[in-house]
Amino acid sequence: MRLDTGLSALPGHAAAEFWLPQDPLLALVFQTGLAIVACSLLMLVAVFLLRLRLVLRQRRERRYAAQWQPLLAECVFGVPGTLPRVPPGLRYHFLKLWNHHHESLEGGARDHLKALAVAMGLDRAARDMLRSRDLRLRLIAIITLGHLGDRQCWPELRALVSDPSPVLSLAAARALLDIDARATLAWLVMVMAAREDWPLARLAAMLKEAGPDRVTAPLVAALEAAGDPKQAVRLLRLMEIAHTGRAGEAAARAVGAASDPEVIAAGLRLINDPREIELARGCAAHGTWFVRAGAARLLGRIGGPEDRQRLVAMLADTHWWVRYHAARALIALPFTSLEELEKVRGTLDDRFAADMLAQVIAEARAS
Amino acid sequence: MSGVFDWAEGLQWFFMLYFIGINGGYLMLNLLSLGSLKRYIEAHSLDDLPRGISGFEPPVSVLVPAYNEEATIAGSVRSMLQLNYPDYEVIVVNDGSKDGTMDALRREFALLPFPEAYWQRLPAKPVRGIYRSTTHPSLRVIDKENGGKADALNAGINAAQYPLFCGVDADSVLERDSLKRVVEPFLEDPRTIASGGTVRIANGCSVDNGFLTRVGLPRNPLALLQIVEYLRAFLFGRMGWSPLNAVLIISGAFGLFRKDVVVEAGGYRSDTVGEDMELVVRLHRLHRTRGIPYRIVFVPDPVCWTEAPESLRVLKNQRVRWQRGLSESLTMNLGLLFHPRGGVAGWLAFPFMAVFEWLGPLIEVAGYLFMITAFVLGVVSGEAFWTFMLVAFGFGLVLSVSSLLLEEMSFHIYPKPSQVAVLLLMVVVENFGYRQLNSLWRLWGLLLWLSRSKAKWGDMKRTASWQTGGGGMR
Repeated sequence: MRLDTGLSALPGHAAAEFWLPQDPLLALVFQTGLAIVACSLLMLVAVFLLRLRLVLRQRRERRYAAQWQPLLAECVFGVPGTLPRVPPGLRYHFLKLWNHHHESLEGGARDHLKALAVAMGLDRAARDMLRSRDLRLRLIAIITLGHLGDRQCWPELRALVSDPSPVLSLAAARALLDIDARATLAWLVMVMAAREDWPLARLAAMLKEAGPDRVTAPLVAALEAAGDPKQAVRLLRLMEIAHTGRAGEAAARAVGAASDPEVIAAGLRLINDPREIELARGCAAHGTWFVRAGAARLLGRIGGPEDRQRLVAMLADTHWWVRYHAARALIALPFTSLEELEKVRGTLDDRFAADMLAQVIAEARAS
Repeated sequence: MSGVFDWAEGLQWFFMLYFIGINGGYLMLNLLSLGSLKRYIEAHSLDDLPRGISGFEPPVSVLVPAYNEEATIAGSVRSMLQLNYPDYEVIVVNDGSKDGTMDALRREFALLPFPEAYWQRLPAKPVRGIYRSTTHPSLRVIDKENGGKADALNAGINAAQYPLFCGVDADSVLERDSLKRVVEPFLEDPRTIASGGTVRIANGCSVDNGFLTRVGLPRNPLALLQIVEYLRAFLFGRMGWSPLNAVLIISGAFGLFRKDVVVEAGGYRSDTVGEDMELVVRLHRLHRTRGIPYRIVFVPDPVCWTEAPESLRVLKNQRVRWQRGLSESLTMNLGLLFHPRGGVAGWLAFPFMAVFEWLGPLIEVAGYLFMITAFVLGVVSGEAFWTFMLVAFGFGLVLSVSSLLLEEMSFHIYPKPSQVAVLLLMVVVENFGYRQLNSLWRLWGLLLWLSRSKAKWGDMKRTASWQTGGGGMR
């Protein structure tokens, strides 16, 4: 292709040449450019329309919320005589507000909220929403059905626990716990151990809501059945929510039988029984630093004056955290004063050990 | 003469295709962002329901490197001590300030020297003293010799007690739940090693007690233009790469990292002005080449607000510095480029960044200069010239509008319709001079990097007016 200069052409011809490229390839690029500009203009309009829709929606939501709020607040005292009017387009918004109240209130007020929702037919609506393709609607439906204790949707929620989406499956697990914690926990803890895409923090929050009375036995049973060290570690972490005594016993058994350092370290965190002192002493010489650090912490909890020399020796460990926990354990030992530890510090040849003890003594004095 | 025309024709098509390529690439990213942003918002639609703290959230060390921040440091630290997160510590690293930064900290937080067993895991300039606040137990201050921002961050990592650390610019304004938001990816996937969130422009907003209380628009046109730029950079510049695990930048203004991984990688490099980006690219390189599974995630939520430069001089300095940082980050990690195990990061994100962001200014400026000169000299036709301009401006426009569209579909940070109208105007205006000026500054940064002139970060004096310069979008 040879390009004309455009300057040599006649004025009329030049104008045509300016806006309508003769070369087919250039014309294609030109048309692409025009299409892109047109696309931009359409998007500009879309931005305006979206904002307009947002403003109108917010205005409507505010208007209805002003009617709903007093009725939902009335549920603290009883079921309101008047049912809130919820247009179909604002059902999601109402359910969110309803759930917000449900999670903020306790006891009888929750029962009044449930009665209000059933009277309004929200249980049926939520069951319908469970099959929606919109994730937002499905999530709010799951949470609502859980709060309503709706047993009719049990099979559907149970199936959703196996959904590959962690968001959806976790919401379903939580709803099932709300409906019947005891029946759910019997099998759910195994799923909790196996599904690595379920964040421990979320599971811990759910188990905390269920309470240690309900979660301890299933967790202990699951730990004893767990063959995979990864699963055992997850269960041991979750057992921090369980009753201390039973969790500690199960953890000691797990630590005794384990060779995986992660399992041992997770187990050591749960032990509080002085009868397990030999376990702690054995782990103090483990090859993995975080097991030694865990052992030092455990010695601080269950150790006696006879463990002082062992802990003093651990102050010279190669790893900072082992030194730190050994120093803290020394302070926690019974019948050990800070003045005595100052004297111990004076006898230390290892500078790192002395520095660490100085830091921990200062921490103890500051607190 | 025909040789000249053939040569000119070749160049004309090269520049035109380059502009189509770069903008087409960004449009693809935009589409990716659209999908992942929609999924993200749906999945987090119930986050505002009251939820208890599990006690399993990993504790975080917030590291605040400070150099000559006397006027603002107390307010910034006070706001960082009020974040909504169950377990975190704040470590301010005074990087040998020449003003009264240290005195301000001592006075405001009743600091006392503390005999800490400092663990020198990463190389850093000598520490002069470590202090603990007697009024805020979670606050510590490291007073060290000047070594620059990277060196200060390394000292902070050495002193950090928790498994995650968050580097924060001393002049940043954080959202109260910012830590909660960026920790999420670490909870969701144990392979996560770093996460960052969206940084927004604070100019025109109201800040009270270190927290943002009202979102507004600045009057300064330069700051207004940067708002659109930040939207583009964060909402699709990073969100698009995140699902592909190929985010190459986490802003130094607010980024969360797994400490053991960063220590293993050698910490921040103090021989670059782009230490934040360099670290992220290095983490990709090391994990990819060693075959270690990992995730680097971008969270679209606005977590941090930063003040944008309002003068051409400061803005130019910032852009020059960013371009140099980009150049250094890429050249220091060339091993990632087309590595057999490089994945999307090595085979797509790195080349994309190199061709369109690193060498982009050179080609863009050359493209504009060539087309204008060739048109004036009559070497290319009017139709070719105007087609080029149409493509360049059209794509620029569509990218900016689409970022505003993404914002409108997701966070609606700017509450008033009039604010959206102003931003729409800026979207159009920025294509007539501002973007070209930016390309010129970035080209200057590239040339400075080539000339190897010495970088100065630690010596950069901040003014007392809350925030200046600082990290941010890049």
